[in-house]
Formats: sequence, C-alpha cells, structure tokens
Amino acid sequence: MPKLIFRLFLTFVVFVGIFILIQQLLTPESFGEYGHYRANAIDDNKMSTSFYKGEAKCNECHQDIFDQKALDVHDAVRCESCHSPKIDASTDCKVSPPIVKGTIKFCAECHATNPARLKKGVPQLNFKEHYDKQNCIECHNPHAPWELKEK
Amino acid sequence: MGTERKVNNRRKFFQTSAALVGGTLLYAIIKPFEALAQPKEEELKTDKANLPLWGMGVDLEKCIGCGKCAEACKIENKVPKEPFYFRTWVEQYTVKNDGTVKIESPNGGIGGLKQSVPDEEIFKSFMVPKLCNHCTKAPCVQACPVGATFISPDGVVLVDETYCIGCSYCIQACPYGARFMNPITKVADKCTFCYHRINEGLQPACVEVCPTNARIFGDLRDKESDLVNFLQVNPTQVLKPHLNTHSRVFYNGLSSEVK
Amino acid sequence: MEEHYKHLYEALSQVDGYIYPNEIDLHWGLMIVLYPYITGLVAGAFILASLERVFNVKVLKPTYGLALLTALSFLLVATLPLVSHLQHPLRAYEILMTPNPTSAMAIFGFVYLWYLMVVLLLEIWFDYRLDFVLWSKKSTGFKKYFYKIITLGINDTDEKSAKLDDKLGYFITLIGIPSAFLLHGYVGFIFGSIKANPWWSTVLMPVIFLFSAMVSGIALVMVIYMVVSWIRKVEIDMPCLDTIAKYLFYILIIDFTLESLDQIHRIYEAEESFDIIKVLVSGKLNITLLIMQVMLGTIIPLVVIGIFQVYKPAEKIRKFSYFFVGILVLIGIFFMRWNVVIGGQLFSKSLSGFTSFKAVYSGLEGYVMAAVWLIVPLLILTFLLWLMPPWKKVVTHE
Repeated sequence: MPKLIFRLFLTFVVFVGIFILIQQLLTPESFGEYGHYRANAIDDNKMSTSFYKGEAKCNECHQDIFDQKALDVHDAVRCESCHSPKIDASTDCKVSPPIVKGTIKFCAECHATNPARLKKGVPQLNFKEHYDKQNCIECHNPHAPWELKEK
Repeated sequence: MGTERKVNNRRKFFQTSAALVGGTLLYAIIKPFEALAQPKEEELKTDKANLPLWGMGVDLEKCIGCGKCAEACKIENKVPKEPFYFRTWVEQYTVKNDGTVKIESPNGGIGGLKQSVPDEEIFKSFMVPKLCNHCTKAPCVQACPVGATFISPDGVVLVDETYCIGCSYCIQACPYGARFMNPITKVADKCTFCYHRINEGLQPACVEVCPTNARIFGDLRDKESDLVNFLQVNPTQVLKPHLNTHSRVFYNGLSSEVK
Repeated sequence: MEEHYKHLYEALSQVDGYIYPNEIDLHWGLMIVLYPYITGLVAGAFILASLERVFNVKVLKPTYGLALLTALSFLLVATLPLVSHLQHPLRAYEILMTPNPTSAMAIFGFVYLWYLMVVLLLEIWFDYRLDFVLWSKKSTGFKKYFYKIITLGINDTDEKSAKLDDKLGYFITLIGIPSAFLLHGYVGFIFGSIKANPWWSTVLMPVIFLFSAMVSGIALVMVIYMVVSWIRKVEIDMPCLDTIAKYLFYILIIDFTLESLDQIHRIYEAEESFDIIKVLVSGKLNITLLIMQVMLGTIIPLVVIGIFQVYKPAEKIRKFSYFFVGILVLIGIFFMRWNVVIGGQLFSKSLSGFTSFKAVYSGLEGYVMAAVWLIVPLLILTFLLWLMPPWKKVVTHE
C-alpha cells in the first residue's frame, strides 16, 4: 500500500477512534436504558411540586364544607376549581389561605351566557339583568348555591 | 542478557498496551451498535404490561369554556403568565349561518370564554380544550436530534430539561401546536399530564379543577377505569387522525370543523 | 426578557384569524434561513468543480480551484448559524454524542462531517499536496511551516506520486458528487419530512433544495471568479464564463420547473391546507415570493442568459450582465430559503390564521449577525486564496 494512503487511512482511523472515545465519555449516565433518552429524566419529571393538593387533602380539615356541598348542585365541583393555590406563596393553605371573593366576574367565568355552553347542568345568566350591584356570595352560598341567605 | 530482557520487557509492554488500546477501540466501536440493537430486547424485558398507560378523554358536551384548566395548568407547572405560553388551552368554535368558522381563544380561555358573535348569526357553537395529545407515534420525539424528548414507559411524552438544546425542531414537528419554547428555562416545554402528580396518585391539575368533569384522566390498560368506560360508552375521535400520530387524547362529540 | 415579551405582544396584536396560542413566535428565524442558503452554496460550488473534474468540461478549468476553495470556506461556516440559533448553544455537542437515529437534524451532523472531512478536505489536499511540497521549499515564515505540516510528511514530488494524487483526487470527486447531493438533499429533507407543516411537507423538497443549491453555488462561483479576476487584474476567460452561464441557465430551468411543478400540484390537488396557502402566497409572501424569488431571482436571469444563448453581444455587455445576473440569482435563492423557512411558520397549523414576522437588527438572530455569517466565509476565502492560490499551482491533471 502506498505510504500516502496508509498515512491518510491511519489519520482517519485515529480521528474516528478519538471521536468514539469522546462519545463514550460524554454520553450521560442512564442514557439508552429504556430508549433513546436519559432514563433518569423520567424521575426528573416527577420532581416538581404539586401546588394543587387534591380534594382528599382539603377533606382533612374541612369535612363540614364537604357535607354541605354534597347536598347541593356544586357537589361535583372540587375545592380547587375555585380555591386555586396562591403561586409563589407557601403551598400550605394555613399560611396563605386561598380565599375567593365570589364576585360577579368570578362566577361569570362559568355562569355567563354563552351559546357554546350547554344549557343543561350549568345555569347561565345575564348578570346585568339578574343582579348588577352585589357580589354573588351576598345571596348565594357558594358551597350550596340554593341555600339563599336572608337579607 | 540484561539488554535482551529489557528488549523483551519493552516488547511485552508494547504488546500489552497495543492490546489494551486496540481492545478499548474495538469495544468502543462495537458498543454503539449494541445500543442500536438493544432497545427492542429491552422493551420485552421491562414488563410494560404492569405499568399504566396514561391517556385522557375529553367530553366536549360537558366543556363550558371556563378556562379553569388553563389557569390551573399555568399555576401548577409554573408556565409564564403571558398569553402566548400554554400547555393546555380552550378554544371556542363558532360556526356561523353562512358556513364560516370563527375560532377564538383569548388568553387561552383563562377567565372564561365570551361569545363575540351575535346570537342571530350563530349556527352552532362549542368549546374544545386542547393539550399535548401524547401521541403513540409522536412526531416531536421522532424529530428531536438528541433524545431530549421521549415517550416514557407509561406512555407520556416528556422533555428532558437538562438535555434539550433548544433547537425548536420538535415545535415545528408538532401538528397540534402543543409545544413552546419556555423563555425562562430556554428548553422546549409541554404538557406532561402533570407527571409529578399522577405518580403521586393525584389527577392532573386540569382534571382536578374541571367543574363539569369534562376531562377524564386514567389508565388505558385498566379495564375498570373511568377513562376506559368513557371510551367504551362514547364514540370518540382523535385530532388530525390523517397524520397517523395515534394520539392518546380522545374527544367525544368532536365536530369536523375542529383543527 | 421584557424585550422578548414586547415583540410577542406586538405580534399578538397583529394576529390575523386564529392561531394556536403557542404559535405567536416564529421559532426559526433568520439564522435558519441562512443555514440552507450557505449549505446550498457549498453543494453548488462543489458540483461546479466536479463538472470540470469528472464530467470533463475542460473549459471550466479556471474556476476549478476557486470553486473548491469557495465550497470549503462556506462549509466551515455552514453550521455556525445553526448553533447560534440554539437556545442552549453549549449543548450543541450532544447532536454528535447521542444522535437520535430517527431525527433528520441529527444525521445532518454526520453528513456534514463526512462531507467536510472526507470529501472537501481530502480532495483539496490531493489537489495541493505536490504544490505544498514545492511551495514549502520556496516560501518563508508562517507559510513555510503551514505547508510543511499540511503535507503530513509526504514529500514525494516525482511523477508517480503526482499521478497517484490525481487518481485519488478523481476518486474522491466521484464520491463527492453523491455526497454533495446528499448534503443538500438532506437539508431539504429536514423541512420536507415535517408532516405537520403542509408548506414544507412535499417529497419534492429535497430535489428542489438540491437544484436551487446548484443554481446558487454556480452563481456564487461565477461572481467570485469575476471579482477575483478584477482584483488580480487578469483577463477573464470568456469561454469559461459563457459555459458557467450556460450551466446556470439549464439548471435554473430545471429548478424553476420543479418549483412550478410543486406549486401546480398543490393548486390542482387543493388539499385541506390549500386555502390558507393561497392566502399566504398572495398576501404575506407576495413580495418575497413573487417579486424577489420568481421575478428577480428566476425570470430575469433566465431571459438574460437565454438571449445570450441565441445572440451574443459584445464581451463587455456580457460580463456586466453575468455579474448582474449572478447577484440577482443569489438574492433570489436567498429569498427562496426565506419563503420556505419563514413562510412555513407564518400560518397556523390550525390552518385558520397568520402570525407575523419582524426580524431584528441586533442579537444572535438579527440582521447584523446574518451579515456576519455571510461575510466571514468571504474572509476565509480571501485567506485561503492568499495561502494556496489556485492560479499558482503546477498542473497536476489534464
């Protein structure tokens, strides 16, 4: 074999060899265990904080509200649908309680008239006609909407 | 005698080192091919049947477009509050009497969707929540150049935040617009079915807060689950079926106008 | 960060119709326009060089070396726009460490390396090895050391070794042609394989990219050849220039035919996506597609060179026209890339609306950076021409 080809071939082999060695060194740990990805990334994805705690957690302290809610039309609505956790604050509801004002604007998110909303199930109203001045919770108990408050 | 042994020793040294270097090289060359061939066997070994296979059903007949899901998702997953980063959002479709379709989703539906078309012009109108469809044949996973996005063994398409190079190729490949470039982490971001929650036995945040139970989350392998029941009772459809992505988010009552 | 949001809020106010909320931002900007453009110039210049070497078009001899060096200087820069657009540029090495075998973009890294290391560098090396040996004896200083090292210690100057160089160089060019096709066909595939995007997803995409690459590469070498000749104050080889223009003409016809075929196919089939694409072409891409790409970049060059095929005016007019046409073609192909990359992201995948694109001047994705990536290869070329001028070579192959 001519010297030239041999030398080039050798250079090529050295390059490929170095490349493969670097590849071995820089491939992260657990890569390729289940497929073409870092298997540890699955665990990384589990590491996030749960801001929403789930109903079972609320139930630990607020059994009375649950009992009240179960008897009225909001029975299927879960606590955190309205009481969303305060982000960037403590995730403990005793430190920053997720209080909801119960304004017309808030209730309208679900109850404002919209032809795209099915009539059955979710009552829809024109809030201007229904009651313009006050917040909804001044008459309705949000946990049991048909338990109207006396004024 | 002394020199001879030295020469011998030297020769031996060269032989051993040559064998070592050669062996390492050979091993290094063969190894990647091994990795190429392995995954299929590996799949059989890890007993996938024991793992859940997560999926979601969306009942469009129940969705009222309150946007609670989009809002909760942003809080739960620390998605920037700007109106152009969403892991899930709700669209309102309005088919007018003249046949034209108007689609709206201001701020992803957060704060409740409002109808902008006067009643007398409306032929029909409905809400469609959108999220990552967790495709079985995910185009984004196919496109990712480095293996930073993948389908987990339990069927959820995830992103490896420490490994993503931010090339946006997956965003281009996703037919559903479900991915975005997170401006804070500077990596591709998307719905994970709240992977941290479902592994703790909780529901994804959007499912947790939905006041009308329009979203049903569960294990597609569990014959007793609400999701399997939902799929058995209702005729369901996936989005953009012609793209053959085999997605795992199933819609009940999907109109042909939905894109 | 605030700046980033500001331009997105501006885009939000200009949305036309409905787009998915995550689609406001164009994730691929100017840098990704440059990437296929520069890669295309490389492939095109190389193919022009191989016309002389493999297809024996001897009249192109004056541009052979120039074309190879042009290809090399642009290839060295080709991946840089790509890396500079990454959100995590320091992680770019992962593409070579753990390439995903199903990803078009990952395999491109290897196609690129193959082309650079095995094809271009080797071919140029075989071409110049003998000259390096001879020059190393004559020159001093930096040049001397460079020549000495680059010969890899092979100092044969006899006829036999020159013949061997030539033979091997020819062999590499043979491999090089399919490699050049692969290189740019692959860039087309990166776009053509995205089934989510109807503007990109067409089987013709790699072929269109390939022919437009040849067009742009040939035009570039033509322009560079004229400029270099003017600077060196040597006579431009007119038969050579005429022949380049002739090839430019033929390939431009093929390119135009393919692109028209693609559009006609779209119009006739009128699939689901056609309605939005119709609006895209007549609206947002009106100027860049119809005027810049089709009119300036294709029709005018075709007419001018077409006329020269039948009627040959005076040399001076021809020279001037070729220069003018070369520049027009280069601009046209740039906008062809623009229309593919930017155009494909302007409309929503919901096929019901448009977002808008506003390029910025500063930053890693701005006009200034784009200009840098276009000027750097020219500087590299100047350096290479100083270091290894093709016109000072001894003739190694006939």
